[in-house]
Parts: sequence; structure tokens; C-alpha cells
Amino acid sequence: MKDSMSSPNHYSACADFHALRLSRRTLLKVGGMGLLGLTVPNLLRAEAKGKGPKARVKSVIFLFQWGGPSHIDMFDRKPDAPEAYRGPLNGVPTSMPGLHVCEGLERTAKIMDKVTLIRSMHHTMKNHNSAGYYALSGHAPATDDQRLRDSPELFPAYGSVVDKFAPVKDDLPTFVSYPHTIADGSITPGQHASFLGKRHDPFFFTQDPNDSNFSLPELSLPSNLTLERLEQRRELQKIIDRQSRLLDFSATAQGLDAYYEKALAMLNSPRLRTAFDLSAEPAKVREAYGRTTYGQGCLLARRLVETGVKFVTVYFSNNIGGQSTESGGWDTHGFNNTRMYNIIPKYHLPITDQTLPTLLNDLEERGLLESTLVVWMGEFGRTPRINDNASRDHWPQCYTTLLAGAGVKRGFIYGASDKTASYPAENPVRPDDLAATIYYLLGVDPHTEVRAVGDRPVLISDGKPVMGVMA
Amino acid sequence: MLLHPSRAGKVILSARFCLWCLALAAARDVASAGDVSFRNDVMAVLSKAGCNMGTCHGNANGKAGFKLSLRGEDPEWDIKVLTRDMFGRRANPAEPDQSLILLKATTQIAHEGGLRFRKDSEEYAILRQWIAEGLRDDAQTAARLERLEVEPREAILTAPTHQVQLRVQAVLSDGSRRNLNSLAVYDPANPFTTVSHDGLVSAARAGETTVLVRYLDQQVPVRLAFIAARPDFVWKNVPSHNYIDEHVLAKLRTLRMNPSAGCTDNEFVRRAYLDLLGILPTAEEARAFVADPRRDKRSRLIDRLLERPEFADFWALKWADLLRNEEKVLDRKGVQAFHRWIRQSIAENKPLDQFVRELLTAQGSTYQNPAANYYRALRDPVTRAESTAQLFLGTRLQCAKCHNHPFDRWTQADYYDWADVFARVQYKVLENRRQDGLDTHEFNGEQVIWAGRKGEVTNPKTGKPANSRFLGSGGPVTQHATRGTHPEENRLNALADWLTSPANPLFARSQVNRIWYHLMGRGLVEPIDDFRPTNPPSIASLLDALTEDFAKSNFDMRHIIRRIMNSRTYQLSAAPNDTNLDDEMNFSHALVRRLGAEQLLDAQNQVAGVRSHFNGYPVGMRATQVPGVLAVRKREKKPSAGDQFLEVFGKPQRLLTCECERSMDTSMGQAFQLISGPTINDLLTEEGNRLSKLLVSGKSDAGMIEELYWTALSRPPTSKETKEAVALLEKAKDRRHALEDVTWALLNAKEFVLRK
Repeated sequence: MKDSMSSPNHYSACADFHALRLSRRTLLKVGGMGLLGLTVPNLLRAEAKGKGPKARVKSVIFLFQWGGPSHIDMFDRKPDAPEAYRGPLNGVPTSMPGLHVCEGLERTAKIMDKVTLIRSMHHTMKNHNSAGYYALSGHAPATDDQRLRDSPELFPAYGSVVDKFAPVKDDLPTFVSYPHTIADGSITPGQHASFLGKRHDPFFFTQDPNDSNFSLPELSLPSNLTLERLEQRRELQKIIDRQSRLLDFSATAQGLDAYYEKALAMLNSPRLRTAFDLSAEPAKVREAYGRTTYGQGCLLARRLVETGVKFVTVYFSNNIGGQSTESGGWDTHGFNNTRMYNIIPKYHLPITDQTLPTLLNDLEERGLLESTLVVWMGEFGRTPRINDNASRDHWPQCYTTLLAGAGVKRGFIYGASDKTASYPAENPVRPDDLAATIYYLLGVDPHTEVRAVGDRPVLISDGKPVMGVMA
Repeated sequence: MLLHPSRAGKVILSARFCLWCLALAAARDVASAGDVSFRNDVMAVLSKAGCNMGTCHGNANGKAGFKLSLRGEDPEWDIKVLTRDMFGRRANPAEPDQSLILLKATTQIAHEGGLRFRKDSEEYAILRQWIAEGLRDDAQTAARLERLEVEPREAILTAPTHQVQLRVQAVLSDGSRRNLNSLAVYDPANPFTTVSHDGLVSAARAGETTVLVRYLDQQVPVRLAFIAARPDFVWKNVPSHNYIDEHVLAKLRTLRMNPSAGCTDNEFVRRAYLDLLGILPTAEEARAFVADPRRDKRSRLIDRLLERPEFADFWALKWADLLRNEEKVLDRKGVQAFHRWIRQSIAENKPLDQFVRELLTAQGSTYQNPAANYYRALRDPVTRAESTAQLFLGTRLQCAKCHNHPFDRWTQADYYDWADVFARVQYKVLENRRQDGLDTHEFNGEQVIWAGRKGEVTNPKTGKPANSRFLGSGGPVTQHATRGTHPEENRLNALADWLTSPANPLFARSQVNRIWYHLMGRGLVEPIDDFRPTNPPSIASLLDALTEDFAKSNFDMRHIIRRIMNSRTYQLSAAPNDTNLDDEMNFSHALVRRLGAEQLLDAQNQVAGVRSHFNGYPVGMRATQVPGVLAVRKREKKPSAGDQFLEVFGKPQRLLTCECERSMDTSMGQAFQLISGPTINDLLTEEGNRLSKLLVSGKSDAGMIEELYWTALSRPPTSKETKEAVALLEKAKDRRHALEDVTWALLNAKEFVLRK
């Protein structure tokens, strides 16, 4: 008895959480076999001895569709629903048998055999900032606050958690995000490391990858400074550092110097510089991704994961938009006499249809889809019932997320909505669960404990990995 | 585990027939092991096995459909979920060994939480017996826990001894004592110690730690110091400057550690300027100090610096952080007014109790009476309650909002009763020209704060109104209605009386600890706003002495700063010796830390002889003088290079009342800023900066280098440093470039970026 449980591991939480590989449904089915002598306890005894999650995914490309795309038009169509619901867009068949997407997504239709759709995403945050934070962090804010304030009390971005628990070594950043800070009035929380500390912030920039002279100040020296001169400066710095001996005994000094090493390595890194050098890409490829900020951003994402970056977040737009055919996000209410169906077919759908299939095909052709998980999602869906402006409003109660690539099934639909795409009808999934799924696939135990502000012990995710989507 | 309906039915049937044999079995168990009590045994097992931890079933949402009260705070709840949920399958008296709780915890069936105990363990035996005996609650009959006794409470263990056995006993209400070694929970604060199931503490290396021993709702901290043997240790008798040193040295001696050597004059002058004024000494000031032959020159310097205006600037910055002086809620005019009030209070050396009293009782227009911004920033009763406790009583109450505080004595009732003290603070918004109509956090315009006659807080657990009470022994607010003020104002006046009274143990202690932290880089209690019995100070007697000194001085901040800085302890070098290498908490050497965002930017500018610009403020304002966070919103104007620098280096957004909001992290972004960021590149290359002037000053190369070293590092260069730098200047095609390179190296030296 004495050794039945040795502290302090004992206290470190539900360590073997991920050992469970059987769903409850399977359990119930198996339970029915009790009469055949196969008892559940016996069966599960063998299953209980699991290890930590094995990383099934090397990199994640997270494509965040700010504003909230319309699930019922795009990926969860209800052709049999009343006209007030189904909307004016026609469906087109796809490479996933039985699945239709909307017109305007003809190229996307051809890659649906590569993706998993989760049609039962749901939560209760009706405002962009609270829902956006939920989508970006996997944690529900305390209240559905339109102007949720971005404070260190809130949870970090997925990439920051990955940077803490599964960082990339050498001259590469773990987490890169661009080309916008997203905001709706206030800056949306969930875009940086928050209470994990600034050291886990993303390598972030707002330069436009579609710019002809796209380059990053961090990776390019000011015009008056050469690499040789920088090396000389570093030598002088080292002479002074030796004099003070701080590096001999101060962990703070050593930590700071390690960042210098990494920053200088990045400045010197041919592979990183190459990764950011979009001009190295054939014109044909650049065209294929689309000559848009988002398109070139997705191309850059491919180059980054190819180089070894682990988590890349591309924001579709900096604002919720929805009233323009030239810029902005998916928030198409039809305000100010704009009309959703005059806007998305001219802007959002063409960009998506240009870029998303190109990215997935390109990743696949390069063998990268086997190691890269692509996540395409917004903060919520849109009202299944068309509003008075012939458009759609916010709808967190049910929406669709698209996953593709490493770790997840191909040509698969998980969960389902009811007949008007208003509520999940089966296998509901919360953003918490999606977060847990992402961590799990990256080999990070979703129930890892971290200390939030005030030393409060919290879990990086309170959700459950959605085992049903996994390949 | 019975999922097949027909089988389940059968079992229930057979259970009826078998009641008498169950009773027999139970009787046998009792005879062999004594009575099992739900309150005292089962509840203890749920904690011991970790079932009710916050990360497992103690989570607010439970886990896998099973929710226990956090750390067993609510046995009423727990017995219900154990006996009634899941059709009684969790605890099955008919077939105790088939109870889910036993099958899961022993992983006979899959358990997300893994193995909690084995079948042959005491835990199993207790749960099994309680189940077999029919799931009885003994709330009425069980002896109550009066006291938890742990031996030893403190111990210093010298290698080769690296283990100590704790002895845990309960004193119960029936007068009996009970050995609890196998049922108590042991939580070590540091990972270098482990505690066995039965309370044997083992340390993997030398160091100090606290082990919390917990049983039911009581916990006892045990302080342990594991000391390296150091057979050749010789205590070096060093003189004390004042009582601070006596306490520190006494502690170090027991730990077999010698303090580091004293710092040099060069180190001292830099340290004193940075700590008191937030800026560097100029080359002339540093040289003059080092050359001064007087023995008391350090004391004299401290006195001089305390009278400089920059002292008020720098220490106002610290308070402005904590009092949430930021533009969105207080608006630009309010931020300026509040900052002026804070700065003026420090400049005139307002006693700290008076400063706090003015904040807590402030009423009226936030423009006319800037102290009222304290409440303007804290918009609801619970935020006011949490912030006031954290700031002025060093107490973190946040946990108790949702459940009893797991590491402290505060209950949820305490929390809401305290919040109720602040329930009647009212706002009259005279105007609000908010720029974002949807943003309810934004206020732009005059507001009047006043103490209303109505308003109360509801305790969500009871659903009833809370009763205004001060924290701890303060008692009901009504008992404090003194001073003949209007009864409806009494809450705030009474609050200020009670809180700042010298009899309130936490006020002076938490405030002196904060000042100590700012000067020494670590609190005696750490984190500095987390006082509780389970987080004892590293040198308790020193905190007592400082507290007494501070209270006696009439809460004179300058007095206590002077005391600390004149101690030998403050004046130690950062370089450790063989004996104190690992010490982080006993002040045996100075603690190295990065300069704060504002200090660093001001220091860089000072060396280069240039000024930064902050949006919305006149050029020439130093970073430490900026009243708020960001005067012009990002979407109106791109933050200036100076604004951006401050953000990257961790200037807080002032959304929390916590020192922890100021990030002292080092990061990659910072390295990029310091290597080739816009700020550093501009200040090095700016025409007319210090480098331009040096190049035409007629100084020799060595002379220029020496001047730069004194300016940046408050010391002369070594001969090697001079030689390297001069060689660079001599061979350079462009002497300006070479001088820029030397200056870059100085600004990037660890010695520059870090305070040692």
C-alpha cells in the first residue's frame, strides 16, 4: 500500500487522460457482449495502460476566417429546407460522394475528398471578440463581451501553448502569425502568449506578403547595417560580457544571451530567409495561390511549414468586414443596404476557392499534407434563417469547421446539424474540444496544467480530443 | 459494471435476498478495522487519492460526468453524487467491489485519471468498507477535526541527511488523537522535494521548501531547509550596518552560507540611480561619486537621490501601474490628473496610510478629486474588493469567488461579505463621449464617484444578500461606524480606518514587502501580494522588524527605503560565492534582473543623448514620466517607435491590479529590438547625438571610449576593452561607424540591460 501512489506525480493531474482510446459508444456496444464472457472491465483493463499522445502532426496551418463564414451556404447545405433558410446559392457536387458545396466553390469542390468537416461546432458567444477569443484559444470567456479586453488573465493562442510545450529548436520560430492583428473595436484576445509570458509570443508581422517588396524588418537589417558589421558588434558585446561575468552566474543573463543567439541565427539563417522570400517561388505558383494578401499568406504558410515552423496562423482579414467586395472579413449582415449575396460571391468565395484548394493540393504534391494539419474556421457561423436584409447574422449555436491533412480522416463528415443547420443533431463539438484535438495531434497532452495569473492552476484545454475525426 | 439490463435487474434482486449476509460482512469489517467515517475517512481518501483536485473531478465542470466538491470543501455535495447519481452504480453496497469508484480508481476499468490506488491499499479498504456498510453519512455523529498537528513544523537538515519523516496527528472534538500519516495529503511547493505516501520528505538537492500538509479542511505548512554539508564551511564574520543585516546574517549562518562580498562604488552608484530614479548616473555623477573619499558617501547619495524630482517620477510609475491609470476607463484627462496626484503624493512624502485612506474614501468628480479615479477604474464591487485586498492587504482572494480558497482561510462567504463593503460605490456619469459606442468599458468625460445608500452583493452560493464584513478578524462593518460621519459614508470611512490602522497586521506588512521587492528584486513574501499562512516569508523575523519600523515611522516610505538601502544586504555584490550559489530567497547576494521597459529606453536615450517620442506627449518626456499606457489609440495613429519599444519590453496595459502584469520576461522580440530594431538604429545614427559631439570634442580615441563607458556602464573600460575599441576606431574607414558599433555593444551588454 505504501507505494501504491508516490507523490508528487500523484498530484500532477489526470496524467493518463489520453490513454482512453475507446469512445463511449464503442463501450456500450462492447458492454452488450457481456453474455459472451467478454466483460467490459476485462476489455478495458488492457486499454488503460496507454502512453502520452504520440505526435501525429508536425505542423499546423490555422486559417482564421474572421467575421464568421456562412456554414449553411458553404459546407452544411440544406437544399430541402424552406426558402427562408436555404438561401439563393445553388449547390455543386463535390469529390466527397453525396456532399455539395455552394456555387463559387467549384475548385474547392474537387478537394473535398481530402477534408474532414465538423458540422456540429457550437458555443454561445454571439459577439465577435468573445467568440473570436474562444476560437483562437479554445477557452470560453467569462461573459459574452463585445469588447472583451485583451488582458493577461485570458488564455494564450494555440501557437503560444505549442511554443511552450513543444518548441522548435535552432534558427526557426515555433509560432508565426500574420498579416493582421485582428480586432473588432478592441483587439481580439487570443492572438499571443498572454500569461505564458512574452517569450512565447508569436513571431508576428503585418507586412503584406502580396507586396512586391515584401520583407521583414526582423530578418533584414537596416540599410546602414551589414551582417559583417553586426558580427563585429557581437564580438565587442562579448568582450564586455566577459568582463562583467554575468553570464557565469546569472540565469537571466544566460537566457537573454540565448535569445541573441537565436535572433542572430535567424538573421543569418539562409533557410528562414529563403522561406520568407516569396520571389523565389515560380510565378505560376504565386498566381495559383492568388495575388491577394490571403493567397500569398497561404503560400508563405506552406513555405514556413516546409522549413519546419510548427504553427502558422494566417488571418483572413484584420476586421470583420462584410460590407465590401474589396476587403474585410465574413461579417455579412447586409447592413447599410449591402447584401450578403452581392458580396461573398464577389470577394470571399473567389478568394477561398482560389487559395484553399491550391494550398491543399500543393501540400499534398510536396508530401507535406502527411505531416501538416490545416484548420479552416471562423468564430461562428451565420443565422440559418435569412434576415430582413436578405443576409445572415451571427450564429454560434451551430457551424462548420474544415480540417485537412495529417492526423485526420479524408472525405469525412463528423457530427451533423439539424434540418435547418440551426443546432447540432449529433456529436456536438465545442471549441474546447477542437483545441484539445489540435494539441493532441501535435503530441501535447491537452490536460497539461499551466499557471495562470495569480498562480492559478489551469489546463491548457478543458476539452476532449475528438477521436472520431482522427485518421 | 452491469450494462445489460437483465443482468442488472438480477443483481438487485439477489441483493435483496442477501441483505443479511451483507450485514454480516460489514460487521466483520468493522470488527477488524474499526468504524469507517464518511466525514473523516472517506472524505480524506477522496483528497488523498487526488479525486477532488481542480484538474480532475474537483473541476467546476467535473470530469467525465462526475463532479466532486473542490478538495472536499462540501461533503454534503460529495455524498450525494457518490450515492445517488448514476443509479447508485458509483457506490454499490450490494456488490462493493463492483462500485464504479473502486473499479475506476484501481483502473480495473479504464480511467482517464489513471491509477489512484491499488486494491490492497488502505484507500481501497476504507472506501470499500464505507460502501459495504451502506453509504452512511455520519455528519451528526462523527467527531470533528479540531486541530491538525504536524511535527516538525520547521527543520533544517544538513547533508548527508536529505530526508525527514513528518508526523501528522488530528486532535478530534471527542478529545481523541489520531495518527494521519497515511491519510494526510502532502503538497511540496518545490519540485526538488518529493513526499512519500506516508509523509517521508526527500530532497534531491540542497534548498528550501514548504510542504503543505492537508487533512479535511485544515492545512499546516512545514518549512524545510536542506543544507549542503560543506564540511570546510567557515562563517565569515561580517559587520552589520543595521538590523536588516542582523536578521539576514542569522538566517544565512544557519543555512551555512556566507553572504557575497560588498558591491563596488561603481556598482552602487548605478544601482542607486536605477532603483530610486529609474535613470543612470551621468558620467560626471558616477565619477564624482567614485572619487568621493568620504566614508558615508553612500548614505549621502541615498539622501540626495530621495529628494530629486525623478524619484517621484519613478515611484509614481509603480503606483500608476497598480492603480490602473489607463486611458480607456479614466480618459486622457483623468489619466493626467490621477498621475499628477500620485506623483505629488510621493514628492511630498505623504505617509502611505494617508495615501491609501485618500484613495479608499475619495468621492466627487474624478477630475476635481483625482484620487476618486481609484474607484472609477474598478467598476464593480467584486473588482474593488479583490483589488483592495491584493493591493493593500497583500491578499489574493480571487479563488474564493467560486469556491473556498484552497490555500488560504477565505471562504466564499468571506469573499462576498468583503465585496459587500464596496457595494455602495456609485457613479454619476456626467458625460461620456466614448469613441466606440459599443464599448462599454470606455469612458470619456467627467464622472462623479459617491457613496450611495443602496446596493448590496448577493452571495451566489446562498442566493442571499451578503453581510458587509472586513476581511479576517475585522468583523461586521457596522461595528466600525465611528468618526461621526454620515452613516451611509461609514462603509468607506470605516474601511479606511480599519485597513490602515497600525493594528491591522496585513497593511504595513504587505506595503513594506512591496518596497523591499522594488529595491531587492524579490519580496520577503513572494509573490508580493500573496500573503497567507501557507506562503510564509523567507526571513520571517526580518519582515516583522521592517513592519514595526515602517509603522513606527508613520508609514514614511523614504524612511524605509533609506533603511533598506543603507543595509549591507542591499549593498552586496551580485556575484555569488561557493556557499550561496543556489540561493534565490535569502538575499545572500544581489539578484540580477532586467531593467524595466521605461528604465531601459530612458537609459538608452541617455547614453545616446537623444529623446524618444510617445504619441500624444511632448518630445522630451522620459518614458518613466509617461502618465498612462497609450495616449492615442492604435487605430488613430500607429504607435511611435518609443511606444512600441515599451510594449515589447513589458510595460503593463494596467488592466490588472497586480505587480505581475509588468512583464520582466526576456524574449526574442526584445532581442530583435535590441539588435536591429528601429529605436536602437535611430538613436545610434541620429545626427547631433552624443556620438556626433564626441567625434568633434577633440578627445583622443581612448578618451572617447572612456567617456562612453562611464556614461553607459558607470565605470571605466578595462585596458583590454580600451585596446579593442581603440583598435576598431583606428582601422575604421568610417570612424562614426566604429563609434556606433562600440556604443551598440555597450547598449547590448548584459551589464547594461540588466541591473546587478
